[in-house]
Amino acid sequence: MFLLYMNLLEGVASAVYSRKKAYCKMLLHAAKYPHCAVNGLLVAEKVKEKKKDSHSAPILCVDCVPLFHGTLALAPMLEVALTLIDTWCKENRYVIAGYYQANERTKDFRPNQVAEKVAARISENFSEAAIVMVDNSRLTMSCFEPIVLIYDHHENKWKSRDVNTDCFEDWLEAQKITSALLEGRSYENLIDFDNHLDDLRNDWTNPVINKSVLDLC
Amino acid sequence: MASVSELYDVGWEEMRDKLRKWREDNCRNSEQIVDVGEELISEHGSKLGDDIWIIYEQVMIAALDCSRDDLALTCLQELRKQFPDSHRVKRLSGMRLEALERYDEANKHYDAILQDDPTNTAARKRKISILKAQGKSAEAIRELNEYLEHEAVSVLYQSAPCFPCDFHSYGKAAFCLEELMMTNPHNHLYCEQYAEVKYTQGGLENLELSRKYFAQALRLNNRNMRALFGLYMSASHIAASPKVGAKVKKDNMKYAAWAATQINRAYKLAGRGTKENKCSVKAVEEMLESMQITMS
Repeated sequence: MFLLYMNLLEGVASAVYSRKKAYCKMLLHAAKYPHCAVNGLLVAEKVKEKKKDSHSAPILCVDCVPLFHGTLALAPMLEVALTLIDTWCKENRYVIAGYYQANERTKDFRPNQVAEKVAARISENFSEAAIVMVDNSRLTMSCFEPIVLIYDHHENKWKSRDVNTDCFEDWLEAQKITSALLEGRSYENLIDFDNHLDDLRNDWTNPVINKSVLDLC
Repeated sequence: MASVSELYDVGWEEMRDKLRKWREDNCRNSEQIVDVGEELISEHGSKLGDDIWIIYEQVMIAALDCSRDDLALTCLQELRKQFPDSHRVKRLSGMRLEALERYDEANKHYDAILQDDPTNTAARKRKISILKAQGKSAEAIRELNEYLEHEAVSVLYQSAPCFPCDFHSYGKAAFCLEELMMTNPHNHLYCEQYAEVKYTQGGLENLELSRKYFAQALRLNNRNMRALFGLYMSASHIAASPKVGAKVKKDNMKYAAWAATQINRAYKLAGRGTKENKCSVKAVEEMLESMQITMS
């Protein structure tokens, strides 16, 4: 699980927690397609309206939906995915809260135009949307440290914040589970939206992986 | 660890045939290729005959993908022994150096090939890939453009779909896909990719073009879900546009409605019997309904 603290200085802090399966599935997606860029959406539980001048209730990031691999910059399927996943979210009282991407090149972890565009779109519905970039160069089987960079939108720019194990609740569990799944090559069973479009029977909610995560808890 | 033949209860012929299928389909399932290929070569190498050389090549490239330099080197050395002066093997040596990020040395290999044979596409493609790997996108585009102007080589056009991703050059991607469609008129994937690029470029004219090509892709393969969704999206956007006349609006609403029916049918077919997929079916139905509201 990880926590994102936003705007601490202004006293309006909102924390975004992530369930283990969100972090796992993100890394499994990157591991499944090492030669491609991959991206996906992060999904949070919908919270009631925040009171003004008080700390916002923490936002729980419950899941992630892997989207595409390879060419990320084409619009039509992205639109279909966003609309479909949005509908699914509404049925489950979730909201799309963020976007993740792992670039094609190992040493490149900066958000590109695609990332910023999608995040901007998500921000229309969820003002604290974040971009999570995977640092490919630190992706290992053991996952000893969190390998994501989190970018928030400040003053029209996307700025990264420090991420360390303190920002994670129960990091050790998440690390243990992710490592076990990578070793067991569970990524071979990970379904992204591209796989779903190739064969509609492929389920992008990944019930098989979700069960594996639960079994390992 | 159990061998592949034990795990999957297959004989060496099946393993060999599987490797051939992956070669023909240009699959990049490198981990599987390494698992199957390594076992095939070490346990049944003598039975493969001349097939062994192409298998060495296939396994070597897959090994590079999996950081198995030990295996890659073994395969390479066998190929060098058998084909000492081959450009094809020299290219493989270059690829190994690329995997080790020794780009200058790799480039020397490719330059040597090109000096001997200036028309060698493979070497030129590798040089452009090196620029891409180094993040030198602008130079990579320049090289690719220069080459495309002088040679009509479909192999290079096939790298076109990567253009928009890295190079934000949708126009160039469209151009390359047009060439690919001309030489491969029955390939539904090129039609569909072209339609996606046109849609992304935006604007009414491009949307209408994209709708036509999604429809064409469907004619070539009526199970292409991307084409079906694409037809639905493009027709819906055209119908919702304030710039179109009543007839165009009506026609596109018809196309969109047809596509929606097909999409729903496809999901119902896929969802038969599984509880989880029923949620997908419902989500799609709702999505299509919500979009129709914005159209009218």
